[in-house]
Amino acid sequence: MWDNLSLKEVVDYAKDPYPSIRQWIKDTGKRAVGSTFADVPEEVIYAFGFLPVTLMGTNKPLKKAPSHLPDNACSLARSNLELVLSYEGDLFDGYVLPQVCDTTQHLSDIWRINFPDKYVESYLAPRQADRPSARYWVKEEIERVMASLTKWSGKKITDADLNEAIKVHNENKALLKEIYEIKKKNPAALTNKEFFAMMKLSQQVDKVEFNKSLNKIKGSLKAENGKGYTDVVLVGITCDPPEIYDLFDEIKLNIVGDTLLVGTRYIQGVVSVNANPVDALTERHFKRGFFTPIHDNVYKNFEEVKALYKETNAKAIIYVHIEFCESQEYDLPDLKAMIRAEGIPMHTLDTEYQTLSLSHVRTRLQAFFESLKGGTL
Amino acid sequence: MSEKLTSKQLSKKITDEYMDEAFHAHELGKLIGYSTAISPVEIFVAHDVIPIYPENHAVANLTAKKGAELCSITENMGYTSHLCAYARSDLAYRKSGITVTKGIPEPDFFLACNAQCFTLTKWFQVLARKGNLPVFVFDTPEYIMDKKAREEIVKYCVLQLKELISFLEEITKKKFDYDRLKEVMKYSAQSSILYKKFLDMAQYKPSPISIFDELIGMAIAVYRRGTQECVDYYQTLCDEIQAKVDQGIGVLPKEKEKYRLYWENLPVWFKFSDHAKLLGSYGGVILTSLYVHAWSFEFDLDKDPLVTLAENYVSRFSNSTIEDRVDMAMDLFKRYSMNSMIMFMNRSCKAVSFAVPTLKDILTKKTGIPALVFESDMGDQRFYAESQVRTRIEAYFETLDALQAKTA
Repeated sequence: MWDNLSLKEVVDYAKDPYPSIRQWIKDTGKRAVGSTFADVPEEVIYAFGFLPVTLMGTNKPLKKAPSHLPDNACSLARSNLELVLSYEGDLFDGYVLPQVCDTTQHLSDIWRINFPDKYVESYLAPRQADRPSARYWVKEEIERVMASLTKWSGKKITDADLNEAIKVHNENKALLKEIYEIKKKNPAALTNKEFFAMMKLSQQVDKVEFNKSLNKIKGSLKAENGKGYTDVVLVGITCDPPEIYDLFDEIKLNIVGDTLLVGTRYIQGVVSVNANPVDALTERHFKRGFFTPIHDNVYKNFEEVKALYKETNAKAIIYVHIEFCESQEYDLPDLKAMIRAEGIPMHTLDTEYQTLSLSHVRTRLQAFFESLKGGTL
Repeated sequence: MSEKLTSKQLSKKITDEYMDEAFHAHELGKLIGYSTAISPVEIFVAHDVIPIYPENHAVANLTAKKGAELCSITENMGYTSHLCAYARSDLAYRKSGITVTKGIPEPDFFLACNAQCFTLTKWFQVLARKGNLPVFVFDTPEYIMDKKAREEIVKYCVLQLKELISFLEEITKKKFDYDRLKEVMKYSAQSSILYKKFLDMAQYKPSPISIFDELIGMAIAVYRRGTQECVDYYQTLCDEIQAKVDQGIGVLPKEKEKYRLYWENLPVWFKFSDHAKLLGSYGGVILTSLYVHAWSFEFDLDKDPLVTLAENYVSRFSNSTIEDRVDMAMDLFKRYSMNSMIMFMNRSCKAVSFAVPTLKDILTKKTGIPALVFESDMGDQRFYAESQVRTRIEAYFETLDALQAKTA
């Protein structure tokens, strides 16, 4: 299904992966378990023989979600709820839903109440990361989710199952990292949209199959550094709708670094293979980069973004703000001020799931980069 | 011999002394710890740290209708209008100095407990960046409905309380006194029992108190728990209300008390006396909410203090599942004989409000009582549509009247 995809097919599947997932389930007889962002250990779900699918919203209209979550709720949360209530809920036998903020906490409850006949488990991520208790808690939660999946599925997994899952996931991340390196140096070799479609699809489809496609795509990429590209760093949680990448491609921006959950923060999730697998999955939690709801160090975001900007020699930072994400909204004014005090050009994109028109985003983005090139910033 | 103070006088005296001490904390060799209202503050009290609650200060300003003015200032600083009005009014106070009180002393550090909400953590992080001050996040995972998970959550919270104690010892350079904590816990347990007794007096018919009395009466429980004076205050308050009960004095006369209402959410602070009058004119009295019960702790003094602290703070309504919140509300419906409900969708408080649509659906099904749902903001008047709310309240009571007539 996903083992011999061209770049174009990757983009198409990433836009709407669900028909192919439906077919794959039919063909293989396997079951899918959905999760939302972020930090659910998908290797654990995979080790049980399920297909872990990270839900990333829908661009289809909201019909049912607004009666459960008001319009000032994070648009990604509403979009994911709509996805399962109206469109793709039948695909999933169960869900493991992370709680990282007030919205995701309620979302888990609402989800469970609306799917009384399905398996719905919470993954209670710690919202502090710098004290020993956080490490204790992550391990405890991974073990609790494993016990819960065992009870539900009737299957017990071994360290070997978990290590095999880790291997497959690590391979996926390694391939993405290699392709990212090629893309950074050769922006004409593949577009931003193509690359981030690979990132997205990696979190939604079977990795054993998709790794084969990634390998082939990697081999087919030609060194094409192109002309007139502006290197930028993308900061935020996600970047949606995917047409935003078209805008970046249109004005020849080359994303050379990012902090997205559908980007570098996913690649950073490589798990050590020379340790007890649960311990290794626990350690992984603390190696990943900044994620606003779970990190209590109030300067970590700024420090990471600044370091990334310098390391990549980027020309500007683009911050992607998801409308009504409270966590981002408390961080953003200070982050902007700190970044600007460093003399780093920064542009903020306000995005919302279900956005239909991007004309305002295009105009602002064009204006920002014209100013940047004109040296007027 | 001096005359015994009334609860109102006692409240003022306790508050004045508390704020006076707080403003002179450094001269007294003490530190100021900003805390969320639902936090294991007993640990601060036992360690002679003065807890200050920016939320309380925000409430004073929002009740005095300063919300729109203050929130606009914060929005001009780049924050969006849909953040918590407590946070927005506080950030504006920091910038402008505008307040209807004497203000609050500056913090030395922060304790953010997310059993209440995650917003407070983010708000405190903003304040911490301004002064480069330490923040201790007391992380309370949702108290999910699984016995084993609950045991683990409590263990995790106990570990964190030990970390909090080490954090305080490091900052204050003073060893923590566990015997003192036991003493503080004793006061906290006593005052919590009395506070709950006070709230439960709304069970009487007619009810001697409404939620508006409770919102005023809860202040001391929020900022002085863990002290003898807090116990004294609630003893006095309970005695006063009991005297009303004995005389049959209700918020409304017995024959006029027609609708005994449940309120979901925090109040609309700048409207709460108007709401009391308006509802009263229809024979309605709001008796309670889960919000005011958030400080009805049930500390078990036979347990390790850190364990009973963890168990209590992690299980607040705001950190419970929607199913558990339904059970908590149903318990109140039964005990208080309530026959109507107002479900307030508070734009400011996502932590409480995002559960409201589901809660409303389940509660109306379980009780058979229709609900009035309205959307506004607890502190920012710009999101309050007077005529719309009034019309909805009027229509709701007409519906209830019609239902009552039908039943009769």
